[in-house]
Amino acid sequence: MDQLNSVFKLIILITVGLCAQQCSQDPSATIPDHIDFNFDVKPILVQKCYLCHGPDSTGRKGGVRFDTYAGATAALKHGGKAIVPGHSDSSKLIERIHHTDPDMVMPPLESRLKLNDKEIAILTKWIKQGAEWKPHWAFIPPQSPDLSGLPKDQNAIDYFIGQRIKKAGLQAAGQANKNTLIRRVSYMLTGLPPSAESIDQYLADNNPDANEKMVDQYLHSNHFGEKWARHWMDVVRYAETKGHEFDYVIAGAWRYRDYLIRAFNQDIPYNQFVKEQLAGDLMTNVRRDPINGNDESHLGTVFYTMYEGTHSPVDVRKDESDRIDNMIDVTTKTFQGLTVACARCHDHKFDPILTKDYYSLYGIMESSRFSPVPATCSEKEEQSINKVNEIKTYVRKLIADQWMREITNSPNESIVFLKNAQPKKIEESGYKLIGDFRDIGIKDWKSDGHAFGQHTTLGDPLVDSSGNFKGLDEGKASSWILGTGIFGALRSPNFLIEKDFIGVRAKGAKATIRIIVDNFQLISYPIFGGLDQKVDTPAWKNFQFDVTLWKGHKAYIEILPGTFNTHVYNLPQDAFVEIQYATTFDRHWITPPLPADQSPIYPKTAIEHWSAFKASPEETGLLNRMLRAKLLSKNIAGIGELLAQRKQLTGLLKDTIFYNGIYDGYAINSHVFRRGNHLDETDMAPRKFITAIAQTDAPYQTTGSGRMELAESILDPKNPLTARVMVNRIWHHLFGRGIVETTDNFGLQGKLPSHPELLDFLAIKFQQDGWSVRKMIRYIMLSNTFKRAIQGDMKSNEVDPEDLLLTHYPMRRLEAEEIRDGLLAVSGRLDTTMYGPPVPSYITSFMQGRGRPKNSGPLDGNGRRSVYQEVRRNFPEPMMVTFDRPIPFSTFGKRNVSNVPAQSLIMMNDPFVLQQAEEMACLVTSGNMTTDKRIETIYKRAFARPPTLKEKTDAKLFLQTLASQYKVNEHDENAILSNLDIWRDYCHIIFNSKEFIYLS
Amino acid sequence: MSKKHFIHSPLTRREMLCVCKTGFGSLAMMGLFGSCVNTSDSKDLLARLGQAPQFIPKVKNIIFLYMDGGVSQVDSFDPKPRLAKENGDDPAKKFKVDATQFNNVGKILKSPWEFKQYGDCGMAVSELFPNIATCVDDLALIRSMVSEFPEHTNANYFLHTGNGQQGRPSMGSWITYGLGSENNNLPGYVVLDGGLIPPGGLDNFKNGFLPANYQASILHAGAEPIANIKPQELNPDLQKEKLKFIKHMDQSLLGSIGHADAVETAISNYELAFKMQSSVPELTQFASESAATKMMYGLNSDDPFTRSYGQQCLMARRLVERGVRFIELTCPAVGNGADRWDQHANLKDGHERNAHAVDLPIAGLLKDLKLRGLLNHTLVVWSGEFGRTPFAQGDNGRDHNPSAFSMWMAGAGIKGGTVYGQTDEYGYRVIEKKTTIHDLHATMLHLLGIDHTTLTYPFSGRNFRLTDVSGNIIHEILT
Repeated sequence: MDQLNSVFKLIILITVGLCAQQCSQDPSATIPDHIDFNFDVKPILVQKCYLCHGPDSTGRKGGVRFDTYAGATAALKHGGKAIVPGHSDSSKLIERIHHTDPDMVMPPLESRLKLNDKEIAILTKWIKQGAEWKPHWAFIPPQSPDLSGLPKDQNAIDYFIGQRIKKAGLQAAGQANKNTLIRRVSYMLTGLPPSAESIDQYLADNNPDANEKMVDQYLHSNHFGEKWARHWMDVVRYAETKGHEFDYVIAGAWRYRDYLIRAFNQDIPYNQFVKEQLAGDLMTNVRRDPINGNDESHLGTVFYTMYEGTHSPVDVRKDESDRIDNMIDVTTKTFQGLTVACARCHDHKFDPILTKDYYSLYGIMESSRFSPVPATCSEKEEQSINKVNEIKTYVRKLIADQWMREITNSPNESIVFLKNAQPKKIEESGYKLIGDFRDIGIKDWKSDGHAFGQHTTLGDPLVDSSGNFKGLDEGKASSWILGTGIFGALRSPNFLIEKDFIGVRAKGAKATIRIIVDNFQLISYPIFGGLDQKVDTPAWKNFQFDVTLWKGHKAYIEILPGTFNTHVYNLPQDAFVEIQYATTFDRHWITPPLPADQSPIYPKTAIEHWSAFKASPEETGLLNRMLRAKLLSKNIAGIGELLAQRKQLTGLLKDTIFYNGIYDGYAINSHVFRRGNHLDETDMAPRKFITAIAQTDAPYQTTGSGRMELAESILDPKNPLTARVMVNRIWHHLFGRGIVETTDNFGLQGKLPSHPELLDFLAIKFQQDGWSVRKMIRYIMLSNTFKRAIQGDMKSNEVDPEDLLLTHYPMRRLEAEEIRDGLLAVSGRLDTTMYGPPVPSYITSFMQGRGRPKNSGPLDGNGRRSVYQEVRRNFPEPMMVTFDRPIPFSTFGKRNVSNVPAQSLIMMNDPFVLQQAEEMACLVTSGNMTTDKRIETIYKRAFARPPTLKEKTDAKLFLQTLASQYKVNEHDENAILSNLDIWRDYCHIIFNSKEFIYLS
Repeated sequence: MSKKHFIHSPLTRREMLCVCKTGFGSLAMMGLFGSCVNTSDSKDLLARLGQAPQFIPKVKNIIFLYMDGGVSQVDSFDPKPRLAKENGDDPAKKFKVDATQFNNVGKILKSPWEFKQYGDCGMAVSELFPNIATCVDDLALIRSMVSEFPEHTNANYFLHTGNGQQGRPSMGSWITYGLGSENNNLPGYVVLDGGLIPPGGLDNFKNGFLPANYQASILHAGAEPIANIKPQELNPDLQKEKLKFIKHMDQSLLGSIGHADAVETAISNYELAFKMQSSVPELTQFASESAATKMMYGLNSDDPFTRSYGQQCLMARRLVERGVRFIELTCPAVGNGADRWDQHANLKDGHERNAHAVDLPIAGLLKDLKLRGLLNHTLVVWSGEFGRTPFAQGDNGRDHNPSAFSMWMAGAGIKGGTVYGQTDEYGYRVIEKKTTIHDLHATMLHLLGIDHTTLTYPFSGRNFRLTDVSGNIIHEILT
């Protein structure tokens, strides 16, 4: 007790002596009765102790750690324990904090990390209370809060927010007026100002459910998806070009933008939405666009492809590690609010995220393959393909049935017996087979898309131009199984490049063979050009790739009809490719022998096998010889029509539009790279989820990438973060600040939630309501907390200047897109066309550099909404950037809000703003409106409210001032009414008023 | 990992208001392009941030002469007689040749230019830079620079932001974030665009995760140096009337909503923006400069690129005079297939064109700064993103070489006439006093009075630094 007293004496001394003015209160007065580990103690440990005594084992000093209970209470090297629960006086932690020896005091002086009196008092009291230890708050699954005190009919949000306001002795502001509310809701839900009609309708509606109806109207507007997709685009670093040296286009990126808009408009459950982006290509139950039946799920995977793409990296493995780093960074921030990428080089300094966790995720990304994906893959198309396959099977059955009858009737049936010739001997060491398609199946190669199917052409009936059956095909992988111009990619398993050359024997038209080294896609000069070869030959040809530069790297072979032109894939209607085999060798091309089968072959079994798509090359050869010897007939009743029907069906199948998405590859488990250096591999890190929040320690058991398993771990009902992170994002967008302010960081370095119980309540409700984003927004918007006026009273401004308690609604500036779209909407220029390719950026003389577009887009972007304007990484639109649209390199759940003169300069002098002022002037001067009516119209469009009398008078006076500037008689109302310049300038000042760009 | 990290949160808007509330537009200055009202205020602010200068700064302003594309060290500041002796030999037989970007390794290539010794210090400079050569007693030359990236874009990001990927704040942003500006009517961080924006684009000059106010303002030559700086109104009075009425409307808004920091700041931004409309174009008008001064910068040269780079250099001096903290000059597009110092082919023609454009103006700038006493508080930094290979690419070019390059600094705090570090006999790799980009940044910050380990910003769960977890001050080149 004495010691404690002296502690307090010391505190008081410091208090009085050092900061008499700032903190004259006794620190103990503000210390809670019960110290909560997560909310009171941990922030101190993290900020002041973890740098040397945290989870990162490499930087740990003296073996002391405060990130685990066991560590904090363990016996110390020099005796005693840092923390003795219940006994602050015998805890070394407290002793060292108070140590007078500058070499002994903690935190060390040179760290400049000083504990203040309140922090010391909290630590002391906490130890005295038993040093209760809990996992990090965000890693404890949301708990249903006690709602016993919640009055019936009260929105739980108001209950939680109200309790805190009451406790602080503050008063909540009243409701905002209807004009303010509709503008607030309209901008927030659609990113546009309310129309005059909507305002009139809402103001005239005096029913108790008027507000509800108004909110619902905007929630079901098509513009809702346009606004909320953009929020998501910030999170996934959305861009339409690759940046780096030449800013290559990311083909079809905008289709993902449209996908997002549709997803929000259709209120796709968030769990489905998450799953599609992480593993949309692997879903058994594909979600389809209700309008055209296209596969929506697969489009979600474009999420991965938005990374910055390096042109011609010298170290391609390092480039891969940077690319994957970005994918891990964005994936973990987006869905889990965790900054896992910090663990690339060492265990996370502050979060219990291990370097091994990082490399577990690394393997998942490394096992996925980038690919063009056909955008118009509809259910109908898939049905046609199934039909074609049915016909194919049926044709074989018809033929086989007839052949069987023929050979049983033939007296020679039992004597046909053929032996294969002895194969030539090949020096085994000179080459290695990667794939052989002269046999039945494609074996361990992946056939993505529809073109190649799962079989080779071995034994397929050959038909001449008039549709007559003339024999059986040899074995080869072919993209022509269904016809030309159909997308498919044949990809080998991963292999290590050990020999100088890779060889592929192929033929085809307008097709491509690529060697994908370390998943590198932007294959082009100067280094990589040779890894992409065009196949344009009707006869078999040996394609040889010199890969000496990449010995020791992992690679796979990719074969597909169509070509890449500056990294944009396109598929001509007549493109196809066929392959016999692929090998790797050192000096000379070696034709691999067919597998030698010495066993006797019987016609009957050959036919049976053939009918079941199992006939070997020898058996097929036998059947062909029998056909030639007329032992089997070529005239098969009924197959003519079937083949014609098949041809008709396949003729309808064409893939012409593509986007860059993901297909699954083969499981790769990565090593941990020491200090992030890919050349320094250490332990294996099997693919699995983040240890601290995973439900099990078991690695993923899959031969694929593990992305579906990753999605399942994230969507596990016990995952503590997924729902919290998303409801917090929604809250952030509606209030300008999340319950957790650091929307992308729920880790130890993130901010603590301002209302933890509310966050848990919403997270649980979100899941119970079927992960419906729309329902969650609606629930929040219908609370009184959301509807409050912006004016806080004196006391709350003083006690809670940051408005953390939400006594009033926080005012905020419109976002970049809202300002631009708002200008277009009020001027009447807005073109509400949805979807489609981006409108090219307007290029000013200030936008220079490599990859600069040759042609500029229109100044007003054709009046289209900002979400449809092009997003070029290296040529971002100045107005967007200046008003804080984030640079697309990482997750930005929370935008900066800068307030700079460059913004004033745009509103004052930018030709676009002037142009819109003129548009609006034309709009108001075109009818027969009086001056009063014009001012009222302008106010309604721009501010969603009528002008006050004084404002009207002021405006008229100002119009006269303008008139004198333009040498118009200021007392001649008609002259003013007909002068466009005057009204343009008036509209221009309206745009420049702060009311226009602030939301109250 | 014995590095120090300091944890502080950025000032809130409200805190800034408290600190900077000294009349008109104070926060706006801060907000604009990273400046605060005056030095005493910014010191106060920095003290609160825990990053006040720990020692008296020698440098107040930095001019960064960025040599886009990578100057060949063995043809400029690092003579290698052995190349002449072994000209035409196969380099693979002499040393291990690293992978290069174009993978077209030719023979050892001697320098097409002679080197001579200059000044009291006797520093060797090639014929490419006869004018800069006259300033060698003011230069500290580092021959042992290394980069980590052989590609332009990554190397540019690395040189500018201390990290090879897109998205980090550039050094100018860090410096204005740390120190603010001394001018109320101009940005604190300016890029003078000579015509070539480096590969990697404007992100070389961006604020990254720092607030947008710390990004560079790109100044063009000509009537509209900054975007939207030109009023659209034909008559200045008309704009004044309009601004007056905007202010009137805004004041009544404030009356109805009460206390609103952001709106107040936005209002004052307009007043500053208005002033900039005249202060910025004034910069580009050289009417007050004497004929002798203009000649010193090469404004009367026959070479149009010497003239344009000379204008940039002169503008840089004018910006220094006005207290702009960090100024970067990008290179002119000299044409004839020789844009940038990136001579994969035609080394002789390309390097000569580029050198001719910048040599006289840079010498002029150094001399003029010295004459006016500005060099006492200005640091001039000359560097590319990497060097070039001592062997040919093809017959007559040189490929990228991140393993060795030369750069120099001059001005406040710099020990003139110093040569620091050494490469091997081919100028291919550094063999002594290897100096990294982080070291360069640490040294620049040190001269500005900032300990590079304490200039941090919290983002994404950790405190980021310009120098990441590295950086050693190069004391030997400092006075």
